[in-house]
Amino acid sequence: MKTARLCSRRHFLQANSFGLGGLALATLLKQDGLLAAPVKPALGADAQFDLLPKEQHFPGKAKAMISLFMMGGPSQMDLFDPKPMLTKYDGKNFPGEIKYDNLAQASSKVFGSPWKFSKHGECGMELSELLPHLAKVVDDICLIRSMSSGVSNHAQGLYAINSGRITGGNPALGSWLTYGLGSETEELPAYMVLSHPGGLPTFQGEHFTNGWLPALYQGTVVRATEPRILNLDPPAALAGDGQRRQLDLLRSLNEEHASDHAGENDLRARIASYELAAHMQTAAKEALDISNEPESVKKLYGVDNPETRDYATRCIIARRLVERGVRYVQVLNAGQSWDQHGSLISALPKNCAATDQPCAALITDLKQRGLLESTVVQWTGEMGRLPVLQNDAGREKWGRDHNTYGFSQWVAGGGFKAGYVHGETDEWSHKAVIDEVKHYDWHATLLHAFGLDHKKLTYKRNGLAASLTSDPGAKVVTKLLA
Amino acid sequence: MKRIGLAGFIGLVATAGAEEPTLTFEKDVRPVLKAHCTLCHGEEAKPKGGVDLRLRRFMDAPTDSGATLLVPGKPEASELVAIIERGEMPKKGHPVPPDQLATIKEWIAQGAKTARPEPETLGNGPLITEEERAHWSFQPVKRPEVPKVEGAPTPVDAFLAAAMAKEDLSFAPEADRATWLRRVTLDLTGLLPAPGDLEAFLADTSPQAYEKVVDRLLASPAYGERWARHWLDVVGYADSNGYTAADSARPQAWRYRDYVIRSFNEDKPWDVFIREQLAGDELAGATHADYQAAVNDPKRLEQITATAFLRMAPDGTGDPNDDANLARNQVIAEQIKVVSSSLLGLSVACAQCHDHRHDPISQEDYYRFRAIFDPAYHWQAWRAPAQRLYSLYTPEETAKAAEIEKAAAAIDVEAREMSKKFLDEIFEVEILKLPEADREPYRLARAAAEKDRTPEQKALIKKYPSALALYSLNLYDQKKQDLVDAKSKEAAALRATKPVQNFVMALMEVKGQVPESQLYNRGDHEQPVRPVTPGELTVLATPEIEPFQPAAVPSGSTGRRLAYANWLTNGKHPLVARVLVNRFWMHHFGRGIVNTPGDFGHHGDAPTHPELLDYLADEFVKGGWRLKPLHKQLVLSQAYRQSAENPASSERDPDNRLFARHKLRRLEAEALRDTVLATAGALVDKPFGPPSTIARDPAGRIVVGVDKGTITTAKVEPGGEQDYRRSLYVEVKRSKPVTVLETFDAPVMTPHCEMRPQTTVAPQSLLLLNDTFILENARRLADRLHAEAPGDENQRLRRAWQILFSKEPAESDLARARDYLRLQTASLTVYHAQNPPAAPAKGAPALPAPDPNREALASLCQVLYSSNRFLYLE
Repeated sequence: MKTARLCSRRHFLQANSFGLGGLALATLLKQDGLLAAPVKPALGADAQFDLLPKEQHFPGKAKAMISLFMMGGPSQMDLFDPKPMLTKYDGKNFPGEIKYDNLAQASSKVFGSPWKFSKHGECGMELSELLPHLAKVVDDICLIRSMSSGVSNHAQGLYAINSGRITGGNPALGSWLTYGLGSETEELPAYMVLSHPGGLPTFQGEHFTNGWLPALYQGTVVRATEPRILNLDPPAALAGDGQRRQLDLLRSLNEEHASDHAGENDLRARIASYELAAHMQTAAKEALDISNEPESVKKLYGVDNPETRDYATRCIIARRLVERGVRYVQVLNAGQSWDQHGSLISALPKNCAATDQPCAALITDLKQRGLLESTVVQWTGEMGRLPVLQNDAGREKWGRDHNTYGFSQWVAGGGFKAGYVHGETDEWSHKAVIDEVKHYDWHATLLHAFGLDHKKLTYKRNGLAASLTSDPGAKVVTKLLA
Repeated sequence: MKRIGLAGFIGLVATAGAEEPTLTFEKDVRPVLKAHCTLCHGEEAKPKGGVDLRLRRFMDAPTDSGATLLVPGKPEASELVAIIERGEMPKKGHPVPPDQLATIKEWIAQGAKTARPEPETLGNGPLITEEERAHWSFQPVKRPEVPKVEGAPTPVDAFLAAAMAKEDLSFAPEADRATWLRRVTLDLTGLLPAPGDLEAFLADTSPQAYEKVVDRLLASPAYGERWARHWLDVVGYADSNGYTAADSARPQAWRYRDYVIRSFNEDKPWDVFIREQLAGDELAGATHADYQAAVNDPKRLEQITATAFLRMAPDGTGDPNDDANLARNQVIAEQIKVVSSSLLGLSVACAQCHDHRHDPISQEDYYRFRAIFDPAYHWQAWRAPAQRLYSLYTPEETAKAAEIEKAAAAIDVEAREMSKKFLDEIFEVEILKLPEADREPYRLARAAAEKDRTPEQKALIKKYPSALALYSLNLYDQKKQDLVDAKSKEAAALRATKPVQNFVMALMEVKGQVPESQLYNRGDHEQPVRPVTPGELTVLATPEIEPFQPAAVPSGSTGRRLAYANWLTNGKHPLVARVLVNRFWMHHFGRGIVNTPGDFGHHGDAPTHPELLDYLADEFVKGGWRLKPLHKQLVLSQAYRQSAENPASSERDPDNRLFARHKLRRLEAEALRDTVLATAGALVDKPFGPPSTIARDPAGRIVVGVDKGTITTAKVEPGGEQDYRRSLYVEVKRSKPVTVLETFDAPVMTPHCEMRPQTTVAPQSLLLLNDTFILENARRLADRLHAEAPGDENQRLRRAWQILFSKEPAESDLARARDYLRLQTASLTVYHAQNPPAAPAKGAPALPAPDPNREALASLCQVLYSSNRFLYLE
């Protein structure tokens, strides 16, 4: 009956905590003596995994995260990282040496950004004219211009940024966060993925796999179009008590079965997933429905514009999920739509036009609601692009090849500095040279913002303590944190 | 002093050498340099600073700055060491770890030796070292000695037990008979044992009881339906073309699906199976323009049908797309992914744009591999999907159809002439309505062909449009139109008597049309670099063995694919048999001996039991590439017969790498849908043929049924029997995955699936709680229970347990279930009292009164379907 009490108490708090954010809920639960769970589950053969909220290692402001993931490798020197040298040398031979992703493809002609940069906000952050909406909220974001992973190509780039390793099948960042901190809601999955109508990004399920962490921590994909989650309506004759009775019987059968199969985490995860599913029937519909959002909010994100409608809708949903206690939400694109090997001049503005306004609106909206303080918003791809051109078949067809040695990402909220630019690439935006942030440094810093020590957040795997940051050199970049 | 010193030094090395093996460049140092240095110092066109670290001898050259990189015997005088110690190198990436730097120093101290003389030149593509060649999966299969282990009943068990012993583990106890029967039945047929099967097996006390079961299952047609699905994953089977949003239908793909099922059921040797799929057209002596004789011979038709293996990739070339040539080349690239990972277990595709990052596969290799297939695809003379369908008409049928067509065409001419005659007659009446002066010019205008009319004539016709009478006979005289229509119908009726024409989707070369294969810069077909000839991957060939030589076949096809297929299946290829047996093993035991079934390269997992893998590969080949005997060997082993319970194994080996317990697995999507249908008594055993159709229902689900939707509304109508066939026969539309299957991890083929994930997410639970599929079948199962045990509730519950779990319920199970039924019945009774069914529409038959008892039992069946005991195979 302990669980029932916990459920109802948490349910009550949850229902009354809109606008307070996860912090308030966690605090209330803690005061109530319900939040006794230590950080990460105890490990061992009889380890029990759950999604109860866990204590942080130390106080950290971040409680939830929205990742705006842009698969393909967005071009940093056309968006975030102005380089007058590129303009000066536009069309001329690159005087230095380029680390090409593929030597055979080498073109050494510099491709100056076709777009103008100007300073914005009180902080004077320079951004490209392709991002007019982001320009209005620069005082709230932390722009990192010195990201690097140094791996090769999309797959490894994605794995590095998303799972800290360079092979597939490893737990994604969202899995680590939900493993480390549990969930603030029992009514929605702790880790949710909002997919694009055009399909999943390349490498599909790798984006949200729990890898070798227990299945409890995998991402749940929300469909791109209505109905965003199928089968939320119970059959009329069984709705309510009838279905509760079914679930109780199911639970008792499953508990008995699981006790015959100690050590099979998957069985436990499925038991939990029925309870979650039962709650979702009422909660998910409400959470995913933006029709009652005020018109002003819809307009802010761009729901009224066909070009931005999809992304705007998904950003609003992301905010609604975080408001309701979801730990980690990732908003995905389709394929690798930021991979401009050619026709950069026409393709990049299209990508920006579809996403810039919703992304900026998300920051404004979260801030107005007092949620930005506890929510990390991250905008990144798996890598960036080269200063030299590719596909030398007329300027209209010029593109850029991959570059994992220097690229940009921005973050906002959750204890990250606001109105701050971190690090520099060389004068060509090829390689990070000042305050380089490796993907594993970013992971260590992000976990730190969540009050987690990246060296302590481990999972026992084949006798070893595995962590998100597998690189021994990973360090927290304190300069990024307010 | 000097002499003594030197002698002392030599003595020291000799002593060290006696204790530790001498370090060599290839084995010890090159991997360090490759990881940290050679990206800039060797692999770029111009090595940085003039330093090229790819070969030991290159290090003797002075650097651009004049430093001496290497002084053998003197690490302290070698710039290679100094620059790393000063922290100046590597400029990018991690510092060289201390232990690796120590290795470099030790190697220099030992004299900077190589294992063997270095090559004179470095050709195109990467340097393949002996060490890279030495990768385990590139070595010939060697049959190992079976370890002598007491109590291990089969060789498979001996290999496993020997490895377990090293980790102080041993097999779990034997699973009970019911568990094994359930396991092996699901494993081999994708369906559950019927209660009668269990009774018979439990009653059979003969020593051959287990074997008899296996023989029965392998002989069942359901076996092929189950195991074909595994292969269809690997080849990326779909009934639609994908690639573009249109995702057009691929209407003849099912013949290939049926070919695969039949091949499994007849236990076709895999060497034949592979040869047919890669080169069935060349075996059958067919080419694009000359195939009729071949398709009319059943054996050769089978071979031709098999080549659809090479037509499985997503293919947008029949649909509107932005870049037609790119779309064509994408088809080839995707197909190469499928071929290489299915048969070679290598991700050759990485080398399309650049030399492979981890495996010794060069871009040159990739295009040599592609050249095997180029003549059949020939992107510059592309054949769109509709042009790969070959008619199955016999010569007689062709003649008959032509004869009918000729007669029908004659009737068409007659109908046209009738129509003309009627219109001319009408014209003669109509023209009289015109002023006299306009009549003759109008007559001339009418007689002129439309394009030849002068502006004046056009104006005249516009002035008197109704007099024209050149068409629309019906507007002038419907009765005459009816006469013409009747004539036309005669032609249509005649055409309908033509023999039905069927087609096979296949891959064939066009005789005499052989494109020059090229290496394409960055995989861009617009940037050919140099011609290449077909060949095996360099790392798999050795100077002594040229693995295969294409020789033209009599049909006029190049014979490249046939030669390649023969080489793959001659028993000497190091990868093919290993890759195949590893997959078979994986499907039985829940994980592969190599747990990356599509990647046997350097980044793939190493085999947990390399000798067992070789033993199985060798058995398979020596046994004539037959799968059924291998199944038998595996499922009768102690390893397969052990229980899922082994605490020591669960604790110390959670991933079950040592196979010291049987790993619990959730049913795959198709097995889940099929067993639900079968246990509900709804499964329709109707094998082969065109797929069951699918549609979007109003709730947004994709279900099996007949699509009656429009652009704005979704509507599905029942399709009768087709809705209840095994999932393997349900249409695979890439853009519309069937909800019940997709939710349980059935793959979307882009282009194929090497290993399915097993997820546990809330949408699965929601489906089992609320989806019409499960609700309907739970009702059917309740009906079945009532039919099979009409009088007694306990009997019905017993029956449910037998059908779904292959076991008897415990008394506590019965008590729980009865309590549940009592309460649920009461609550449903209240519900129906409060929500009386709407009165039937006028004239419609009255609906049956709700039956709370029956509904409660159905809701119980739903719980049982949703329970882990049903969902997981142990």
